[in-house]
Amino acid sequence: MATSSDILYSVRNLTVEYETRHGVVKGVDDVSLDIRRGEILGLVGESGSGKSTLGKAMMRLRNGSARITSGELWFDGQNLMELSERQMRDLRGSRLGMVFQDPMTSLNPVQRIVEHLTETMLTHEPEWTEEEARARAEELVERLGIRRERVKDYPHQMSGGMRQRVMIALALALNCDLVIADEPTTSLDVIVEAKFLDLLKELRDEFNLTILLITHNIGVVAEVADRVAVMYAAKLVEIGDVNQVFEKPLHPYTEGLLKSVPNIELDSGALYKMEGSPPDLSSPPPGCRFHPRCPYMMEEVCPIYDPPFAPPEGASEDTRVACWLHHPHPQKVAIGA
Amino acid sequence: MNLPVQDQETAVPQWEEELARVGFVRRLLRARKWYGADWWFVAISSVMVLAFIVVALFPQWFAPYGPHEQVGPRFLAPGETPDLPLLIVRADSGLSTLEDLATGPDDEVSRPPIAVLRGAPTAGALREQAALLDDELQESDSGLRLRPNIRRYDTVEEVLQAVQEGEAFAAVLSSVQYEEAAGQFPDLDAPSDISGGVASAGDFLLGTNQIGQDVYSRLIWGTRVALIIGFSASLVALFLGVPLGLVAGYAGGKIDRVMTVFMDSLYAFPGLILAIAITAVLGPSILNVIIAIAVLYIPTYYRIVRGQTLSVKQEVYVEAARSIGAKPSTILRRYIYPNVIPSVSIIFSVNIADAIITGAGLSFLGLGLPPSTADWGIDIARGQEFIQTAWWLVTFPGLAIMLVVLAFTMLGEGLTEILNPKLRDR
Amino acid sequence: MSPLALIFLIIGIPALIGLAYIFVRGSAGLRRYILTRIGLLIPMVFILASLVFFVMRVLPGDPVRSSLGPKGSAETVARMREQLGLDDPLIVQYGRFLGDIVTLDFGNSLTGGRRPIIDEMSERFPATLELVIPAAGLALLIGIVGGTLAAARRKRPFDYALRLYSVVIYSIPVFWLGLIFQLVFGVRLGWTPIAGRIDPVIATTLERTTNILWLDAIITGNWAALWSSLSHLVLPVVTLGLILSGVFLRLTRVNVIETLQMEYIGAARARGIRERIVVGSHALKNAIIPVITLLGLQVAILLAGAVLTETVFSWPGMGQYLVQRISSRDYTAVQSVITMFAMLVALISLAVDIVYSLVDPRVRY
Ligand SMILES: Nc1ncnc2c1ncn2[C@@H]1O[C@H](COP(=O)(O)OP(=O)(O)O)[C@@H](O)[C@H]1O
Ligand SMILES: [Mg+2]
Repeated sequence: MATSSDILYSVRNLTVEYETRHGVVKGVDDVSLDIRRGEILGLVGESGSGKSTLGKAMMRLRNGSARITSGELWFDGQNLMELSERQMRDLRGSRLGMVFQDPMTSLNPVQRIVEHLTETMLTHEPEWTEEEARARAEELVERLGIRRERVKDYPHQMSGGMRQRVMIALALALNCDLVIADEPTTSLDVIVEAKFLDLLKELRDEFNLTILLITHNIGVVAEVADRVAVMYAAKLVEIGDVNQVFEKPLHPYTEGLLKSVPNIELDSGALYKMEGSPPDLSSPPPGCRFHPRCPYMMEEVCPIYDPPFAPPEGASEDTRVACWLHHPHPQKVAIGA
Repeated sequence: MNLPVQDQETAVPQWEEELARVGFVRRLLRARKWYGADWWFVAISSVMVLAFIVVALFPQWFAPYGPHEQVGPRFLAPGETPDLPLLIVRADSGLSTLEDLATGPDDEVSRPPIAVLRGAPTAGALREQAALLDDELQESDSGLRLRPNIRRYDTVEEVLQAVQEGEAFAAVLSSVQYEEAAGQFPDLDAPSDISGGVASAGDFLLGTNQIGQDVYSRLIWGTRVALIIGFSASLVALFLGVPLGLVAGYAGGKIDRVMTVFMDSLYAFPGLILAIAITAVLGPSILNVIIAIAVLYIPTYYRIVRGQTLSVKQEVYVEAARSIGAKPSTILRRYIYPNVIPSVSIIFSVNIADAIITGAGLSFLGLGLPPSTADWGIDIARGQEFIQTAWWLVTFPGLAIMLVVLAFTMLGEGLTEILNPKLRDR
Repeated sequence: MSPLALIFLIIGIPALIGLAYIFVRGSAGLRRYILTRIGLLIPMVFILASLVFFVMRVLPGDPVRSSLGPKGSAETVARMREQLGLDDPLIVQYGRFLGDIVTLDFGNSLTGGRRPIIDEMSERFPATLELVIPAAGLALLIGIVGGTLAAARRKRPFDYALRLYSVVIYSIPVFWLGLIFQLVFGVRLGWTPIAGRIDPVIATTLERTTNILWLDAIITGNWAALWSSLSHLVLPVVTLGLILSGVFLRLTRVNVIETLQMEYIGAARARGIRERIVVGSHALKNAIIPVITLLGLQVAILLAGAVLTETVFSWPGMGQYLVQRISSRDYTAVQSVITMFAMLVALISLAVDIVYSLVDPRVRY
């Protein structure tokens, strides 16, 4: 079990609400999550399950009408919720970095690559000179496999893979401790994606990075992540070691996800397709949110009681799951008492 | 290897899909429910527009006078009661106008005594008016003459006293002076002013202009010209621009390119200057103004319709690959009109506003409309000369232009908000 | 040297040098873009000039008859028609007209001193520039600052106030605003003169070279003339600038709002960039690009507004010249002025596009 000093970032009971015309939508609902120093934690879930909302909230970035309504964000011993906006801004880009899904749209089209880098550096390290920043920018870009001269280019002159490496460079510019990468490879083709993931692993060792890798692609997680967290309808349903989760998923949703991945070895023709579709977050189903789609649904428990997100009976603290299959049923508890 | 992606982040919200499928009217009605478009903008501006249309259709209901009637003294400030020289007689004398004082050869008094206040301008007015009437009488060969014997007194009371006691047949005093003293002389009456008008008639809300026309009445009548120009010019432009845009977008190729270069040039050219040239050549008439302005707005319709047609054409090609080839008329009805009508209605509204401003600019420059037309631009141009003394002459017609244009601009703005949710700020 | 030639020296030469510099230093794509754009200039001028010719000649109405009025005998009419070449076939006239444009020789005016029209225009052109350039600057300033602030304070009272302002100002006829300003600041408050470019008495002491009066006053150190010309300039410039500012305000506001939704704005915030810089630099720089494109189209409004403003303020520029010549039915002059306006529009739109290609690195044709 990880000791507290191993934990770099800890999300505790975080709830994020969106104000919409159809009422309040909880994009993230009572989520708790620990990220350990130096690990790559994969966060998977379908689109709309709240992954980006969680990632942005972890940096306390405003996203539309989103508001953090409760919870604590502990980063390296300090509660981010208690920091002023100014202090928060100082952390962003210097200790907390973010890489977005679409590198095409996440770089300023009228700013040269080098300007992106130097601007970030000089914002956080005002005493650096322009030349120092520029030199460091070139060095960094070169380390990431982009020719030095290309820093003078504009974003539109670069390929998707190069732009995504620039985004990483921006997070490395000041040696961020934690990089939140929100679907960084979704818009890249498969070969570029593989190279990028390799690079990510290398950088993690070289720069002592901790990475929260958000993706809806289980293959990506399998390839690079140390641990994996599964999100469904604004809640975490399972977290654990990658190998363990992939071998023996505890939550029926995780199981469904894994079964729906084309498996070359088996190649048994028809691909598994999960029943139903994710719930509308403005009125999520009561009890376990997955129960309407769950093949193991237990009539007397699942639609009524919300399962706790806790280690299953008899398992180690490292694994957690939110499913009544692995927790004592509330009725039984009540009868036993 | 990807997860089933049911709810793409890029997915079009359902209302947006539905929106594309319904007609113009339903779109208007559902806008609020679907994306909370602000209704009040359209509501307020439609009420304003309707009000202006009613005024333009029935100006006689609102205007106390005709547009060309010279009904009062000149340069009367707004709200000021006209200080007319009144004819004051004994109530039992049977006299009611200055003309009644005319005398024939048989009358014992050939020059009727009329009392005035010493030093007051009314005496001069009386002399002028009497001379005028005298000339008319002489010309009409009635044998009557009007040659008053003007007697001057030092105070208003003395003047009135003289009439009361029969010393004078009548008196002429300004209405203000008479009203102050009238209470003391119940036997006297002021049946008319010396020009024969009914004394109490003048209530000029916005004052009068340099030739004694009622500013308010001309304002009301001017609505008609403004709206005629606005509507007609926009309609003409619409009926030319929409088909041209359809043709260009549909035909494509060389025709399209030539027409587009031409329309773009026209679009870039300062509209008013072109309109100036056209009206200068065609000469002043409302029809020519409409033509000149309509030409300016053809490109606005052309561009939007052409663009829509082009994009629809692409979609239709995709669809045609799967289904039977649709006839052009079907394509027009099913695909192009529903897409184009919202934009065209917005442009129509905004163009009316523009046309009204441009038309007013033309008439301000003395081009376009015949100079006596009851038109706001003309009124402003004529009032400019007197800006130092009579501020109301330019102020009110300008406010009228502003209100009408504002109504149509706001309508366009409101329609944009409702019909084109993608255009409005997200 | 005529003022026109001087103006050309002041504006044209640096512009040409700049263009040459861009041309030599810029990428091949940029070069090709500029060349294409200059290539497009010629058909545009051609079409506009032809339009003017068409309107003036082919529409019903006889310019000679109307310029001589009812007094003109058949003989004088015939003589004048011949003099002006109006009896030639239309196509010949058209060719001559296009030739005149290329040589900038518009013939002599029909009225007054029968001076060459190009000379008359070259006296008036600087006055129009003197009015139009600061007005456009003022409009841009109000529009960009106001629009950005409104976008940053979206849906708050400040934003609503500015939106209201832009709709209302759009609905005000420019000539009326000018008159109201005259009324308030000239007549009532007596702060500014209400008409003309300069006090006529002071004008006699001013030696003119560029015919941009404040510039001439500075060159010759004539401070009284400088003060007088600036005080005459205020009302017309503010009038025209305010009318135009509404459009820029709307454009800037909408574009900044749209840009603020972009992902790179979120990304910049995620890097800890200060909000002031995110809005004022990242968002504004991107938002300004479409505004510049539309600047080209606003030139039409600017020039049309200038005609009316000049008329209101008795400002002896091209617009007033146009209106005067129309009332004296001098069709040669009218045709020339309008052609001149057309060329101006085409040139400015070229300039705008080139600036656009410099500001937006994505333009690569
Ligand atoms: N700007 C927004 N306004 C309102 N609701 C939003 C917004 N962004 C996201 N949401 C809601 O939050 C939920 C989670 O979204 P998101 O975090 O983007 O999911 P993911 O990144 O997993 O695809 C979505 O289902 C959506 O309903
Ligand atoms: Mg996402």
